[in-house]
Amino acid sequence: MQSAALKGRSLWDDARRRLLHNKAAVASMAVLAVLVLLAVFGPALVPYRFDAINKNDVWAEPLQAGHLLGADSLGRDLLARLLMGLRVSLAVGVVATFVSLVIGVLWGSVAGYLGGRVDEVMMRIVDVLYSLPFIFFVILLMVTFGRNFILMFVAIGAVEWLTMARIVRGQTLSLKQREFIEAARAAGLQPRAILLRHIVPNLLGPVVVYVTLTIPGVILAESFLSFLGLGVQEPMTSLGSLISKGAQDMELAPWLLVFPSLVMVVTLMAFNFIGDGLRDAIDPKDR
Amino acid sequence: MRKALLTAVAFGVLGLAGCDEGGGRAPCPAGKLCFEYGNSVDPQSIDPPLSSLVQEDHILGDLFTGLTQYDAKSIPVAGLATRWETSPDGLTWTFHLRHSKWSDGKDLTAEDFVYTARRAMDPKTASEYANLLYVLKNGEAVNNGKAPLTALGVEAPDPYTVRFQLAHPAPYFLYITTHQILYPTPEHVVEKWGNRWTEPQHWVSNGPYKMTYFKLGDRLQAVKNPYFYDAASVCIDQINYYPTTDSISAERRVKRGELDFNDDIQSNRIAFLRRPNQMPAHVRTNTWLGTTYLAFNGKRVPALRDVRVRQALAMAIDRDFITQKLMRGGQADAWTMVPPGTANYPGGAAPHWATWPLARRQAEARRLLAAAGYGPGHPLKFAITMRNSNDPLLIYPAIQADLKDVGVQATLEPEEGQIAYADYRARNFEVADAAWIADYNDPMTFLTLLRSTTGQQNYSDYANPAYDALLGKADRETDIAKRGEYLRQAEHIAMEDATVAPIYHYVSKNLVSPRLTGWVPNIADWHRTRYVCMAGHKAPADINPP
Repeated sequence: MQSAALKGRSLWDDARRRLLHNKAAVASMAVLAVLVLLAVFGPALVPYRFDAINKNDVWAEPLQAGHLLGADSLGRDLLARLLMGLRVSLAVGVVATFVSLVIGVLWGSVAGYLGGRVDEVMMRIVDVLYSLPFIFFVILLMVTFGRNFILMFVAIGAVEWLTMARIVRGQTLSLKQREFIEAARAAGLQPRAILLRHIVPNLLGPVVVYVTLTIPGVILAESFLSFLGLGVQEPMTSLGSLISKGAQDMELAPWLLVFPSLVMVVTLMAFNFIGDGLRDAIDPKDR
Repeated sequence: MRKALLTAVAFGVLGLAGCDEGGGRAPCPAGKLCFEYGNSVDPQSIDPPLSSLVQEDHILGDLFTGLTQYDAKSIPVAGLATRWETSPDGLTWTFHLRHSKWSDGKDLTAEDFVYTARRAMDPKTASEYANLLYVLKNGEAVNNGKAPLTALGVEAPDPYTVRFQLAHPAPYFLYITTHQILYPTPEHVVEKWGNRWTEPQHWVSNGPYKMTYFKLGDRLQAVKNPYFYDAASVCIDQINYYPTTDSISAERRVKRGELDFNDDIQSNRIAFLRRPNQMPAHVRTNTWLGTTYLAFNGKRVPALRDVRVRQALAMAIDRDFITQKLMRGGQADAWTMVPPGTANYPGGAAPHWATWPLARRQAEARRLLAAAGYGPGHPLKFAITMRNSNDPLLIYPAIQADLKDVGVQATLEPEEGQIAYADYRARNFEVADAAWIADYNDPMTFLTLLRSTTGQQNYSDYANPAYDALLGKADRETDIAKRGEYLRQAEHIAMEDATVAPIYHYVSKNLVSPRLTGWVPNIADWHRTRYVCMAGHKAPADINPP
């Protein structure tokens, strides 16, 4: 009767167990799942289109004239716009983070693994890019290549990878001293294969944590760009542009500020709790 | 005059966010009266012939005094000229100057006005407003480099007399002598420092105030000019003009008492601000001679050369919704460029669809578009370049939806106001959100925009010989009623051609602290600081001593 007890538990099983014991993280995952479902299917379920102007419903209050959350200065249904804004913000967050993930992991791991002069050059490039003010860099991109929804994903992602690259390089530096890497090298594996098969998979922990913390950062960056008029353009919307419009009219139509802000806060908190939970789960030393 | 109430991109907003939260009024020298002036745009140039924005003249009008000037009610009254006469044929105008000095103490004479007019018309100056002085003899030829500067119809028979020869009679010429294009520029300073004469350390002007400090994005400061001919009547000692890009944050600064005045209010907040617990005593609105309109660039979008397409676009816009539901600031639906209430004009130039209900206009618009070859399978598409300021941002989504209703796909491209106008002048747009504020109270200030010879400011590049001929006839006509009729016929032709699509006529919207006295609402929305004072202080004495 000993065989069951002897079944091994991998580090990942441990991590999952710790994560599932973290109530805040579990609740956040549930909330996030609901938000994602709402963002994907919500706009199709609301009776109003997000860009439909209802000329008789200008500044309708919540629950008035069939608008659950009210309507804005053009009589557009706030619920429909909120769901569309959530979809855009989440999409920007995920896509831009993915861009930063790919660039950052490749750059950081190559720099860290090859070391020496290559490392020096690659990390100085990162330093130089770091010193460029983020917002001006994005504005320059927008001005040069024109306003474009896709470009905004790329622009934010192209800036966010810098931190990722540093984290990954640091991890790689410590990983490459480890015995299993030496073993792989002794076995005659090519650097490319060592990187992809041994280094990158072992980076997963810190990278996953960082990703969950990058997504809310990107959502905030997008909000800021939209606030400056460089983000999404009318009639398309995002959480950030809804909030900046709502802030302007807050004395007149508080619902235009309150609901988008609530959704924004809930989304960002969910991501942050999940990120915290993951960090605690994957890297228990920090507890 | 162009209107560029810009909400800046990046820089402006970042700058504003900083000063918006800063506390209290700017420091003011002890015993002095300081006027904190919210002016929605930073000046791009304070060299008079190079300026064109309303907000620039808010400042320039305090720094300079022309031959004539606006009084507190915006009626032209004596300025540097104490009296003037016109020849019976209306072609010769003679102005007699008072003895006055520049702010550096040097005498100001008639030669300075001759220099000013020649400099404004010099092709090298490239003044955007040169067309205003095409009314002078040889004005157009001089400005196009086809005649020497000395051929211009301006002369100084003696040091205190200026005489203008006109190309044709112009009942509005007195207004032009109030305009910034004829603010005297100091030859001795301009020739010495070149373009740098507008820097504070070199600055010389002749008005009630002189400029002492200017930093973009911060403020422009002006202090009382002791050499001003009527300095004793000026009450306010110092003015700070702040670029209040976002009118809503400016509103809050006025409420806190950091500003005494702001030159704009977002239209749909007017009713709210008038509530008893807000700032009802501050809100001052008035009729304002101005029109906002769409201009069409047929060079970029060939479809816009088709009159049926332009008519369809002009018909499709629901102006009632924009003025009555969205803005609600007292603006009027516009079917013509010339606003109602303009002097010397009978009105009645609206196109035939102006009285139709929206449904009929939409049906006709769809029919016209279909006739021009556009429909569901092959929609008309273009981009609207628009100013990134509070009111355009409010109404353009509605215009976009109106166009979508008749099957036109328009995208919106907001730009900072000054950049948008630079693009319009360079014809770097497809459809433009333009606006024009009267330079003088006469239909010609609007109708000149559509003349084929106007150049930069004719954004649609309208060139219709019949229109030009009628304006030419009006120029030569001395009978005001007949002239008005020619102008009406001309405007009707242009409106039927739908070379532009007027949207609404402006109202002026100012936030004025109840502390200010002597501030009078008026149709031109000019409020020179020399007439303003503060409660509890002596009001300016005689505005125009003999």
